[in-house]
Amino acid sequence: MASPHWTLSPDRLGSMVAVLIGIALYAAPFVTYRANRIAAGAARSIFEALPPTTAFVLVGAALSVAIVAIFVRRSIVRLAAASLGLVVIAPCVGLSAGFVTPAGNTFARVSPALGFWLLGLAFSLLVADALTRLRLGPWARLGALSIAAAAMALLLFSGAWDGLSILKEYATRADSFWSEARRHVLLAIGSLAAAVAVGLPLGVLCHRAPRLRAAILQVLNVIQTIPSIALFGILMVPLGYLAAFPLAAALGIHGIGAAPAFVALFLYSLLPVVANTVVGLDHVPATVVDAARGMGLSNRQRLFDVELPLALPVILAGIRIVLVQNLGLATVAALIGGGGFGTFVFQGIGQTAIDLVLLGAIPTVALSFAAAVILDAAIELSNGTSQ
Amino acid sequence: MIEIERLTKRYGDTTVVDDVSFGVEEGTITVVVGTSGAGKSTLLRMINRLVEPTSGRVLIDGQDTRSIPEDDLRHRIGYVIQGYGLFPHRTVAQNIATVPRLLGWDRKRIADRIEELLDLYQLDPAEFATKFPHELSGGQQQRVGVARALAARPELLLMDEPFGALDPVIRAKAQDDLLAIQRRLRATIVLVTHDMEEAFHLGDRIAVMDQARLIQYGPPAELLTRPAEAFVERLVGTADRPFRLLSLAKVEDALEPGLAEGEPVAASGTLYEALSRLMWCGRQDLPVADGTGSVIGRVSITGILAYGRSA
Repeated sequence: MASPHWTLSPDRLGSMVAVLIGIALYAAPFVTYRANRIAAGAARSIFEALPPTTAFVLVGAALSVAIVAIFVRRSIVRLAAASLGLVVIAPCVGLSAGFVTPAGNTFARVSPALGFWLLGLAFSLLVADALTRLRLGPWARLGALSIAAAAMALLLFSGAWDGLSILKEYATRADSFWSEARRHVLLAIGSLAAAVAVGLPLGVLCHRAPRLRAAILQVLNVIQTIPSIALFGILMVPLGYLAAFPLAAALGIHGIGAAPAFVALFLYSLLPVVANTVVGLDHVPATVVDAARGMGLSNRQRLFDVELPLALPVILAGIRIVLVQNLGLATVAALIGGGGFGTFVFQGIGQTAIDLVLLGAIPTVALSFAAAVILDAAIELSNGTSQ
Repeated sequence: MIEIERLTKRYGDTTVVDDVSFGVEEGTITVVVGTSGAGKSTLLRMINRLVEPTSGRVLIDGQDTRSIPEDDLRHRIGYVIQGYGLFPHRTVAQNIATVPRLLGWDRKRIADRIEELLDLYQLDPAEFATKFPHELSGGQQQRVGVARALAARPELLLMDEPFGALDPVIRAKAQDDLLAIQRRLRATIVLVTHDMEEAFHLGDRIAVMDQARLIQYGPPAELLTRPAEAFVERLVGTADRPFRLLSLAKVEDALEPGLAEGEPVAASGTLYEALSRLMWCGRQDLPVADGTGSVIGRVSITGILAYGRSA
């Protein structure tokens, strides 16, 4: 290998990561202690938050990562160091909860503070950078995602974090958390499935009947510009009217609740699905379509054997946009009683309980991230076979 | 036998193909040649009904193509276009198998046919069958394109500028390959090109089109000796007309009795080649040998020149 693994000219991103680590270690609190869940917090530094030996281990580990970040160029070493850093700080923050909270006090809350978040950010940046530089293939990226998910699950289910405020919020709402999670995923993926079921044929129609294209895309474009809250509001009227019919009511259709949320998400999903289907089909090379016709493939055979497989990467890119968008937007559905993780976010805002907000927000972000990684891998895989 | 009868195509006020009629004998190559926009491609695409004629009809062995369902008709007619339109998500074998699969051939028969065609085109089946089109060179893609069109043993092969995307060296080789395969399979081919050289090289008969009309239809030599219009004369070029003619004529056409010194030339070679040999070795005449190698007469410079003038 031509480039040296060790170098004295510091790496730019590595230097930034090192600065972040420095601030996190010396200038920022590691955790926040509060007498109860909505009281004002008091900062605790690493040495106040952890037993001395553990604190030394943590600081030592963080400094080592900083040194690697600055001086080592080899991606695999940087990845290993940053992963090690994450593996050290994650249980430490759980440990500090038990250390800071006075024995027997069940009201006190401990949550991660700026220092922890900065360390997490610094290590994650380094991991992300190293993974990018390693140019992992789609399967390797899915593997990395699975490892991260497994590590997360281990931390959550081993009880290592049970002392943290956010998991105390979870403990009192364990049942509703999972039912809201289910609701959230159903809203996001269900509306996506409906949008694909409607949007795909609509996209094919737009492609084959150019006269319809402008009209259909125009309408979908207009829908896309309506703010989500306004769209929920607009949908309440017709759905409220529908709810007056016994059949609709029996199907669970009401002016408020999951029905308008589902319909709104569905409508937002249509444009990316239809537009990407049209663009994907448009980009199938004209010679390929001409050859397919000339060899006597019927319209159906041409669509399913040639055009859709070749348009698949672009269609999947549309589905990726929709899924990530829907997982985020579904949060807003809680405002009209649609449920989902937004329930915790808005309850938390109402109660000024920031940990409750995080209980709703963090899983949403994690889901979106995972969805993006999975679909990106799927797009690359589908591209590989249709080059 | 393909009969094209009074084919016409109009788009609104513009006539793209105007009242074109000609017949194509089985086992021959007919080249449709003309400038771009002359209506050649449209004419070709009306034969397999990718374009529906405004009026006129096409008969294949006496059967009106309009009486055959479009897709069935196209299964019986091979189609090769410039750029080939190979399916990028399918392997070479899957591409070639397209029409046989549509026709419901069994697996074994398709596999045999793929191997046979790849062999015919000197592509090693073991190496090429599983490749994807983007892994092939331009020349290889072209061969796969033709192999795919021939897969279901079509009664007719339509080719629209099939060599247009190839560089000159590969193009000449591809043209010779096509000739060899056509002679071997006795395929009936209608080929569209704007390249006069290609037309003279490949065509048993040439159809010259200009501004939607068929101007002349006949054997290549006839285009040289009796151009129907000034346009044809311009298109074939007057400067090297005698040489073109000599390259179309066989040595046996100018065979003279008698003997001559030197290495014999083959009776089946062209007069162009014979003249070239004579000039190069500085002789007035050379013996002519038939396929078995026995001398059947001689060919002379004066004889060749006389042939060129008389034609």
